[in-house]
Amino acid sequence: MKTVTSYLLWFALTIAVLTLIFRYFLSFGIESDSFAIVTTSATIYGFLMFVSGWYFGHKDEEYLPIYDIGFRFHLTTYAVHSAITLLWIGLGFCSKHEDTNISINILIYWGILLFIHFIFFLWSRKNSIKDLDKNDLFE
Amino acid sequence: MKKDKILDELLLSWENTYKKGQLTLWIFMALQEGKKYVDEIKSFIEEKSDGTITCEEQSLYRSLRKFEHIDVLAFEYQEGNKGPDRKYYYMTELGQELFDRFVNRNIKLFYSTEIINILKRKDK
Repeated sequence: MKTVTSYLLWFALTIAVLTLIFRYFLSFGIESDSFAIVTTSATIYGFLMFVSGWYFGHKDEEYLPIYDIGFRFHLTTYAVHSAITLLWIGLGFCSKHEDTNISINILIYWGILLFIHFIFFLWSRKNSIKDLDKNDLFE
Repeated sequence: MKKDKILDELLLSWENTYKKGQLTLWIFMALQEGKKYVDEIKSFIEEKSDGTITCEEQSLYRSLRKFEHIDVLAFEYQEGNKGPDRKYYYMTELGQELFDRFVNRNIKLFYSTEIINILKRKDK
């Protein structure tokens, strides 16, 4: 599929590594009852996720300006984060003090937001020809 | 002197607007002549436009990728003189039809006697 670009795959790999590291520190922070570790790791994780999305998103746009209002990157982020979170919980790597329902609820609410994004994505497609913005196609 | 400066600025401003979108036409014209790889397309554009259209390799590659994505251009690998095989671009059937229709609707009107006479008016 042409919309699965190499930059999107690099992004997926990068955020998979970041999410794994974050999950480790989150569970470690909860286990150690350290508010500082939890908040610091969450802040750094959020920041690095944004930076990698910004970096690979720009690279991807330079390579081929796919008009998807960011949906591919959002879907990738959700898929990678969800998969790692569910595996982490499923394999029992989380802290015994961790309320796993919070992680599950986050995935549910985030999934609703992703669905709304998907609706906007479908709506935006009428301005595109074969995934490219029809107004910029022959610029 | 002042008039020349204003004229230059106006011309530059008009040309900047005019040239937006011209790259597509020049790429298609280059490929109408035959299959070409990127450097050949670039040279064709710069030579045939008398240097009025210049294109950076990056923008050219980006345009070619877009046109390939929408299936108006395609490429095949052919042996280069030295080094790795080169991507030779060509118009697909869809691309050829698109180009023909564009030329018929937007370029051929400049061939009409009336328009030619208007453009030559200064010479009379």
